[in-house]
Amino acid sequence: MMIPPKEFIKKIRPFSFLSEEELCILMSCLEVDQFLRGRTIYEKGDARSFVYLIFSGLVGLFENELPVDYLSRGEVFGIVATGGAPYALKAKVVRDTVCYMFAADKFQQVFDGNDRFSSFFLSLIARRFRSFKDIAVRGAVLDETAYISPVEKALFKDPVVCSPDSIVEQAVSIMDANRVSSVVVVDGGLKPLGIFTHKDLRRAVITGGQERPVSSFMSHPVKTRPHNSTLFEALSEMIESDINHLVITKADKVFGVITRKDVQIHFEPSSSIISQFRRINKTISMEELEAVYKTINLSVAKLAMNGPNFYSLTEIISSIHDAIINKVIHLTSAELPAERFVWVHMGGLGRKEEILATDQDNALINSGGQLSEFAEAVVEGLARIGIPKCTGNYMASNPAWNQSLSAWQDRFRLWFNEPVPEHVRFLTVFLDMRPVCGDDAMFAELAESIRRSVNGEALKLLASDAVEIEPPVGIFGITGLSKGLNLKRYGIYPIVNGVRVLAMDQGMVEITNTKERLEALQDSGVVGKQMCHDLLESFGFVQDLRLRNHSTSLLSETKADNLVKGKDLSKVDMLILKESLKVISSFQKFLMAKYNVKGADSFSPF
Amino acid sequence: MLLKDCRFCAIDLETTGLDPRKDEIIAFAAIPMRGSRIAVHEGCYTLVRPKKYKLEAMKFHGLSRNDLEGAPSFEEVAPEILKALDGIIVGHSVEYDQEFLKAHFKRIGTRLKSEYLDIVVIEQWLGRECGKKDPDFSLFSHFSLNGIMSRYGLKESYRHNAMADAFCAAQIFQMQMRRLADFGVDSLWSLKQVVRSCTYSTW
Repeated sequence: MMIPPKEFIKKIRPFSFLSEEELCILMSCLEVDQFLRGRTIYEKGDARSFVYLIFSGLVGLFENELPVDYLSRGEVFGIVATGGAPYALKAKVVRDTVCYMFAADKFQQVFDGNDRFSSFFLSLIARRFRSFKDIAVRGAVLDETAYISPVEKALFKDPVVCSPDSIVEQAVSIMDANRVSSVVVVDGGLKPLGIFTHKDLRRAVITGGQERPVSSFMSHPVKTRPHNSTLFEALSEMIESDINHLVITKADKVFGVITRKDVQIHFEPSSSIISQFRRINKTISMEELEAVYKTINLSVAKLAMNGPNFYSLTEIISSIHDAIINKVIHLTSAELPAERFVWVHMGGLGRKEEILATDQDNALINSGGQLSEFAEAVVEGLARIGIPKCTGNYMASNPAWNQSLSAWQDRFRLWFNEPVPEHVRFLTVFLDMRPVCGDDAMFAELAESIRRSVNGEALKLLASDAVEIEPPVGIFGITGLSKGLNLKRYGIYPIVNGVRVLAMDQGMVEITNTKERLEALQDSGVVGKQMCHDLLESFGFVQDLRLRNHSTSLLSETKADNLVKGKDLSKVDMLILKESLKVISSFQKFLMAKYNVKGADSFSPF
Repeated sequence: MLLKDCRFCAIDLETTGLDPRKDEIIAFAAIPMRGSRIAVHEGCYTLVRPKKYKLEAMKFHGLSRNDLEGAPSFEEVAPEILKALDGIIVGHSVEYDQEFLKAHFKRIGTRLKSEYLDIVVIEQWLGRECGKKDPDFSLFSHFSLNGIMSRYGLKESYRHNAMADAFCAAQIFQMQMRRLADFGVDSLWSLKQVVRSCTYSTW
C-alpha cells in the first residue's frame, strides 16, 4: 500500500537503498509525532525506543548542553549501537518539529540486513563534520594579503543599476550593454532593493514574465557589504549565503557588485613553485639541484602556512618530486643502465602524497644484474639534495629491495600466500609501489602478477592491520592531546591502509594515491559517495595539519615530527580533528564489518 | 480532557457516488492517533465490494471492477471497520464520510455512534483567528484537501488513495493542534466550542 510516509522516506537517502520489503518493515513500525519547541525528545542515556527521521522542523543534538549538531528535514537521529545501547546524546527541539519515528528494534533489523543502508549511517557523523569545515574557512588565519585587502580594489566596474519598475527586457539589455551578469535594483537614492541575476532571468522567462517589472523576479532582500570590507569577508558572505553576486555599498548606496569569480582570482596561490619547477630540467649539477629543491621546499612551506590545502598542493608537488628524482637518477649515473630496470617509490612518494619529503622509500626492479652501484649512487644523491634516507632501510641500496622482476613476482606471491606478520608488513609497504623512472612495461608485468596473487586471507589480515590502531577519540574528545597526538599513526595510516585493502580487493594495483583509490572505489560502488567524501575531507585535514607542522619545522629549522599538541590547535581545528578521527573510526568499523575482523559486533555510529 | 490525551481516528472513504442513501462505500481507511501521535503502523485499509459497481465514478477513485471483485462485502468487513473507528473521527469534510458510514451500518442493523471533527472547520476557525482576509477565503479550493495540504507544506503528489488521504488528514490535524494550542485551545471541550462557533456559511 502506497501511503505518503513511504513515498516521503523512499526519496531520502539512504532509505532509497531499501527494498520494498524493507520499507514495509519500517512502515509496520512507523509513528508520526509532533514535538514543540524546547521539548527534549530524549536525554542522553535514555533507553532507546525510536529512531527519528525529521519530516519538518529543527532538532539539536547536545552533549553536556553543548550543541553538537543541528538536524532538519530528511535527517535521521537516534541511531545507536546494536544491542539497544542507550542514546549517546540529548535531542532537543529547536523549532517545532514533526518526526517519523521507527521502532528501534525494527529499524535495527533493516539496518543489520542492508549494507548500503547501514554504511550510509556510519558516515552520517560526517555531515556534522562538513559544517565544522565551513566554520574553519571563516575562522582561518587572515595573514595572506589577498585576504585582507579591501573589496573595493577588486571592483572593476561602476555599478549597473535599474529601477524596480523597469521591465525584465530592459534589465536584460542593461546587463548586456554593460556585459555583466547581474543588475542591482535600486530606489531613487541608489539604495539597493534587490538584485536581478541570470538565475532570476531564467525564472522570469519560464513564467513568461519578460514584460513584467523586474521587481517581481529580483532576489531580495539583497546581501550587501560595505566597500571597506575585506575580500575574505566578501567571499565568506557569498559562501555562507550560497550566492554568486554580492552588492558592495558605500554610505548605503550601491558602489558595485562583486562575484565569487572576482574574489577567487585574488586567492590563487601566486607561487614561485612553478618557475622553480622549470629550472629542474635545466640543472646540470647536484649542487644546483640541491639549491632548487631547497627553494621549492621553502616556497611550499610558506604556501602551506597560509591555509594549506593538501590536495591542491599534492597535485603540483608530486610531479615536482618525480622530476627531481628523475633528475637525480640522470645526474648520478653518467649514463643510465643499459639493461631494463624500474625505479619505484613506496610510502608517501609512492602514493603521491608527500609534500615535504621526509623519507626516501624506494626500490629497484632489475632484469638480472643488481645494479648496486647505480642504486647506491641514486640513494646518496637523493639524500644529498635533502630527502633523508629511510630508517627502515627500505631503499634500493639494500640488496633485499633490489631484485629481478621474477624475484619480485615470487615475493608478492609468497607474501600473499603466507601472510605472516612480517609479510603483511611488506605488503603494506610495497603495495604502494609506483614507477618513477625506467621501463614502464616491466612494471606493468609486475602489477599484473600482483593482481593475480591477491587473495582473501591476506586481505583480511591487511584489513585487520588497518583497524588495529583506533583513533583516540571518545565522547569526551581526543584523549592524550596534551602530550601530542601522532597524526601519521592515528590519522593517516588508518585511512591509507584501509583504502589500500579495498583497492587491492578490486585489483586496482596501479593506483597508489589514496584520493584516486577512493574515487575509483566510489565509481565501482565499493564505498558510498558520502563515505568517500567524508574520508577525503578527513584525510585532507589531517594531512593539512601534518603539513603545517612540517612547514613550521622547516621554516624554523627544527626537527620535524608528526605530533600535534592541543596547545597548538585552535578551537576550530580541534573540533575538525575530532570529527576527522570519528570519520576514521567509522571507516574502521565499515572495514571490520566488511572483512569480518575484530570488533565487528561493537559498532556505534554516534 | 486534554487533546493530547484523546484518541482520534483519521479516516477517508472512496464511494461509488455522492449520495449516502444510494451510493456505496468501496474503500475504507483509518489511522489511529493518540494525542498528536499518528500510529501509522496501526492503520487499517480495506476495499469493499459494492452491490452495484458504477463505472462513471472510477475516474475519481481509480478502483476498477476487477479490484473490487475479490473484496469483502460491507457486511463482512463491518466488524473490522467498527473496531478501527476508535476515538473521535477526524477527516476532511468528514461529515460526509460519517453519513456514508452511518447509512451503511444502519443497513446491517448497527447504530454507529461517534463524534467527529472536520479539519476544514478547524481550518476556517484558524484562518479567522489569524485575521487573514484572504481574497480566496470563500473559494472552495481554499479548503479543499489539496489547498490545505499545500499550506501546511504537504505534497499533494502523495495523494493516491483513501489511506493516503487519511494520513494527510491526520498530519494536518496534528499541525492544527499545534496552532490551536497557540490560541489556548488544548482541550476537547474548547475545541468543540471552536467547531460549534463555525458554520459552513462561507460555502
